[in-house]
Amino acid sequence: MRLLEKLQILAASAKYDASCSSSGSGRSNRPGGVGNAFLPGICHSWSDDGRCISLLKILFTNACIYDCKYCINRRSNDIKRASFTPEELCELTMQFYRRNYIEGLFLSSAVMKSPDYTMELLVRTLKKLRNEYRFNGYIHVKGIPGADVRLVHEAGLLADRISVNIELPTRNSLMLLAPQKDPVSIFGPMHYVSERIMEAREPVLYRAGQNFAPAGQSTQMIVGATPDSDYTILSLAERLYSRYRLKRVYYSAYVPVNVDENLPAISTAPPLMREHRIYQADWLLRFYGFSAAELLDEAHPNLDIRLDPKCDWALRHLDLFPVEINRAPLEMLLRVPGIGYKMAARIVRARRIGPLSFEDLKRMRVVLKRARYFITCSGKYYGDGELDAGRLYPLLAEKADSGVMAGQISMFDMAGTSWRG
Amino acid sequence: MIYITDGSFEGILTSVFEAFRNREEPEDIKPGVDVQLSFLSGIREIVTDPEKSERVWRGVQTKISQRALEDLYRAYLSGHPKVGLYIYRYIKIGLKLGDRVENYLQHPDVRAIHDLSQKVANEAHRFLGLLRFRKLKNGIYYACYEPDNNITMLLTDHFAKRLSDQPWIIHDRKRDIFALYNGEEVVFTSGLPGPVRPASEEEFYEELWKRYFESIAIESRRNPRLQKSYMPRRYWKYLPEKQL
Repeated sequence: MRLLEKLQILAASAKYDASCSSSGSGRSNRPGGVGNAFLPGICHSWSDDGRCISLLKILFTNACIYDCKYCINRRSNDIKRASFTPEELCELTMQFYRRNYIEGLFLSSAVMKSPDYTMELLVRTLKKLRNEYRFNGYIHVKGIPGADVRLVHEAGLLADRISVNIELPTRNSLMLLAPQKDPVSIFGPMHYVSERIMEAREPVLYRAGQNFAPAGQSTQMIVGATPDSDYTILSLAERLYSRYRLKRVYYSAYVPVNVDENLPAISTAPPLMREHRIYQADWLLRFYGFSAAELLDEAHPNLDIRLDPKCDWALRHLDLFPVEINRAPLEMLLRVPGIGYKMAARIVRARRIGPLSFEDLKRMRVVLKRARYFITCSGKYYGDGELDAGRLYPLLAEKADSGVMAGQISMFDMAGTSWRG
Repeated sequence: MIYITDGSFEGILTSVFEAFRNREEPEDIKPGVDVQLSFLSGIREIVTDPEKSERVWRGVQTKISQRALEDLYRAYLSGHPKVGLYIYRYIKIGLKLGDRVENYLQHPDVRAIHDLSQKVANEAHRFLGLLRFRKLKNGIYYACYEPDNNITMLLTDHFAKRLSDQPWIIHDRKRDIFALYNGEEVVFTSGLPGPVRPASEEEFYEELWKRYFESIAIESRRNPRLQKSYMPRRYWKYLPEKQL
């Protein structure tokens, strides 16, 4: 098979993985080496779906022994199969990198023969790339569920980031749709990786610490293939952040690719808006001091699709508002709908020089479309009317026929929830 | 009084020095080449003086901050017609407020510098990713582009470190600026002839990249508006993945 055809097949098979981030690693180049890693990450292009292309995101092979019901590459599907050789992948990565098409490689794979066999192939490819081709750019590698931890360990020494995909948020969903994967095969390597990462971060006095996945660990969950609630998903994400110190949890709106009685019909549109709301809530967990239980609970298990989760929370806690812009602590400014962490920090710094008026906020480019209903400036309220949930809901909610509701999410809506991470 | 400079950053800093020394408030500080202007009243031609600009440079560093100096320089690279005046006013406020001036965003001149600096930094960051090199027949990797701002000098350090073992050229076609890297150091020049023909394997790798670009998109998530907001159409001209 020609290289071009392999590339097309194995890129198309890799496209459902949401992550393409190249951030979190700041390794500098070494003599005779090619490349470095840039701490904030760099996007090199944006594909027609508006997602950032940072890494050459590709499968080693799509020939899978598993039959996970949601997956395009499942064994029972009649699709073209292809595999790279380690040399082909190294050559592609180097040639793309030298032309500045990419920031590095994101190598994943279907399970060929066995988890260990597959993981060994990935490790061999990375070794070749790092040692023979002297590639020093960013590498993200998948941990294959069920692979021996010694192989996972080797991968961690070579890669900047490792991820093991959880895929589905509960044991039941996993049993239903991915019967050959069990939670132990997923959480085992995840736990191992998190331990090694924490070890590598400990200060080392007399020797250079071994670098183990310096950009940390991430994972991905599919949204909308099973009836699991947003509360289930976000509570799990919260545990992953605290227990395994994950850098990112990615969420992927399920794109129906297979017919199965346990799956949404093939004509179902991917739940992009739901995915977007979950990303917004995820941001609130990581950067805004919210907990999952503040946003959702058993009685109220799903995010309001028409409202961003911070607005939703604020409307249920109107007794805490309005907030005085010139006095409120940073933690409270962060809870004002429409005020992001950059703006909150900007407000805190600017008000030290002098009190801020509503006009000043506008001049500072604070977006007041939503925030105006929840703040006062030197005691004056600019929300024209009562602070009342019934009045505010229609003013804050997305109109049912807007582009955003149709899944045409724009960069403005994506602010803070982009795919770059 | 309108100050006319040679258009360099040092020229603007010299103007700042002169304005302070003459205790006058310039109405504008802008580049000009027409010497006849200086015979007109209300016009002062500023001769760039390394010593004077150096003093202002150091003054900003010590009395305001290194970050402020970098902001001023990046703002200068925007080529905005009013940037000379903004720089002067920013420094004037900065000498009173010290490094707090960076946060004084409610002030229009401070905000102007902040916004211009950010715009330039954003475009430079974008081109760390969007710049595309083609390997030429002579083995040199050549990239050309037409950025909105004069950002070439903000990119060279990154590529000299990253692609340190390959000779490359970054060519700003809009401004006739070439950054040349020979494997050891970067030099800037202008007025070079166009590049030689691409290497024979170039077409093959561009084709692979284009097909990869197509294959990685999810059809049911198609969102050209979002794509364009991250990667504006004016940048497509030099992206192989955006050529048919």
